[in-house]
Amino acid sequence: MNDGLFDQFKTWYEKRHDYARAWKARTGGQVVATMCTYTPEELLIAAGMLPVRVLGAHEPQNVTEPHIFGMFCPFCRDSLAQGLLGRFDYAEGVTLTQSCIQYRQTFNSWRMHVPSVQWDYYVPMPNDVQSPHAKKAHYAEVQSFREFLGVLTGKPLTDEMLKEALAVCDENRRLLRELFDYRKQSNPQVTGVEALYASITAQFVDKREHNAELKKVLAAMKTRDLNRSEGVRFMTIGSENDDIAFMAMIESVGGTIVIDDQCSGTRYFWNASKDDGDVIKAIAERYCDRPACPTKDYPAHTRFDHVLGLAKDYGVQGAIFLQQKFCDPHEGDYPDLKRHLEDNGIPTLFLEFDITNPIGPFRIRVEAFLETLGEEELF
Amino acid sequence: MSAELATPAAEEKKEFWRWQENTWFDESKNWRDAKIITCGIDVGSVSSQAVICCDGELFGYNSMRTGNNSPDSAKNALQGILDKTGMKLEDIHYTVGTGYGRVNVPFANKAVTEIACHARGANYMGGSKVRTILDMGGQDCKAIHCDERGKVTNFLMNDKCAAGTGRGMEVIADLMQIPIANLGPRSFDVETEPEAVSSICVVFAKSEALALLKAGYTKNMVIAAYCQAMAERVVSLLERIGVEEGFFITGGIAKNPGVVKRIERLLGIQAVETKIDSQIAGALGASLFAYTLMQKQAKAA
Repeated sequence: MNDGLFDQFKTWYEKRHDYARAWKARTGGQVVATMCTYTPEELLIAAGMLPVRVLGAHEPQNVTEPHIFGMFCPFCRDSLAQGLLGRFDYAEGVTLTQSCIQYRQTFNSWRMHVPSVQWDYYVPMPNDVQSPHAKKAHYAEVQSFREFLGVLTGKPLTDEMLKEALAVCDENRRLLRELFDYRKQSNPQVTGVEALYASITAQFVDKREHNAELKKVLAAMKTRDLNRSEGVRFMTIGSENDDIAFMAMIESVGGTIVIDDQCSGTRYFWNASKDDGDVIKAIAERYCDRPACPTKDYPAHTRFDHVLGLAKDYGVQGAIFLQQKFCDPHEGDYPDLKRHLEDNGIPTLFLEFDITNPIGPFRIRVEAFLETLGEEELF
Repeated sequence: MSAELATPAAEEKKEFWRWQENTWFDESKNWRDAKIITCGIDVGSVSSQAVICCDGELFGYNSMRTGNNSPDSAKNALQGILDKTGMKLEDIHYTVGTGYGRVNVPFANKAVTEIACHARGANYMGGSKVRTILDMGGQDCKAIHCDERGKVTNFLMNDKCAAGTGRGMEVIADLMQIPIANLGPRSFDVETEPEAVSSICVVFAKSEALALLKAGYTKNMVIAAYCQAMAERVVSLLERIGVEEGFFITGGIAKNPGVVKRIERLLGIQAVETKIDSQIAGALGASLFAYTLMQKQAKAA
């Protein structure tokens, strides 16, 4: 059943460049292409800008080879291709917050070779967020970014401006979690595809508009009846994923994606800031404390128990690793995380993602995984 | 005029890749005595099989090349065995479709993946001790773990390449101009075992094979190099999942001793032998699932 409740998110996703251009025309503000969800968006929003996360287009491309290696992850290559192909020609700025080295080279190629770029900024966030010095170091980096934006716009970012932006972002995080809570139910009232539309669009739509839409959806949620069988409850694990066709395929063959550990999903919005008189501290520490990406999860692997906790809270029956090919941080975590889940009764399936993905062969794997999880009727 | 311009009949092009299609049924049994007749149809990328089981026992099968579309391939495969046995479609109580065309078998009651079906078929063919299955199909390759009932417990598939598959072997048969069934035996007719050619891509392997011929390799040496490459390719897949005792190979390549012996040598393990055509494992598993489903349906009624 499609009641159209998530159509606005779907439209935003499918026409994200049109949305950004229209926003710019309407507000006169700058648009900033952001790489990595560790980017402190609050500062850009406070400066009157629209942060737009760079996503790929899942199309074959031939423009990145002169700039970054073919063995860089597909997400990096697909992201850079969008810049080189002029699809972000409306974005004056580009930012990266340090995560992985492939992403950093993608950012460097973008700022050097995408002609529409007028300014760029790199936030050298510590990867060792577990260090006792990490929060202090990141505080200083966020403060530097604030000063940079103040000079760039000619209007210093006051605490009040930052607090207002932080409140908008925290509200967005709270609303998304509220929406995701509906996925804990049996026969969830939100499909994985719908949840992905909601969480991924938060990364490029004006948060105030996004919050208003989330409230509208949440108001309708209590009486919503999807009238579909949930089948097997799946979790997806990996880096960025906005392959809607793949997600829809899973939900068409007898499964429902009920939760994720991905930066296109929960890792982006899971934690809110802690109430603090010092707004920069509240912003900086929120990013240090968020569910970790593998690039920022050492020496202790905090994400293993976090992922298992999500799986248990959401009644997950099987976890699917969506591994971006050549993504070393995630592939490095995979063997131990797989073991951790399986030792705790969560079977896993590993799929390797590229810029374009073969839905047919993936479907065989997913269906066979479903058969291993159930299908006692066959014996 | 047209007679004058007519070109001489084109020399018949030999199809060295063409493997033996075959039909078999157990003449010692009368299918009319069976209480439950079930069918499994495996529409693969290269071959299609129809297997008939009578009361959960293999009765007959037909194995042929997949045609232009899945529904016709399924119909043709089934018709082959129906014609041979005098059976009609209406005599079959339950049909399960499998293979990449499983959802397009028009007369199937249910579709089950070929991974589950190969495990079940291997369990029937090799017995309950079978734990690791290597399915070497037409265009993909799968390593499967199963329990004593033939239920899949884990699996891996190769990625996006025909290396290590039946189609790769067909390419080499054509290139060498040697019938595909002769490749395995001829691969052992070499004085020294050559290095493997590329194991990651059929196109690379074909180029390398041509280069080796030009460099003075005999055809047998090239075939041996290709069989070794194929063995190394599938062993790397198997090692990712782990090989347990009770190792069984299904699919068309299981009929090629040049690959099978080299896999066994690399793994240090003997594959479980069977007298049943390894190519029908998927359809056989589907037919056995159909039998179980039919029994359950009858009980429920």
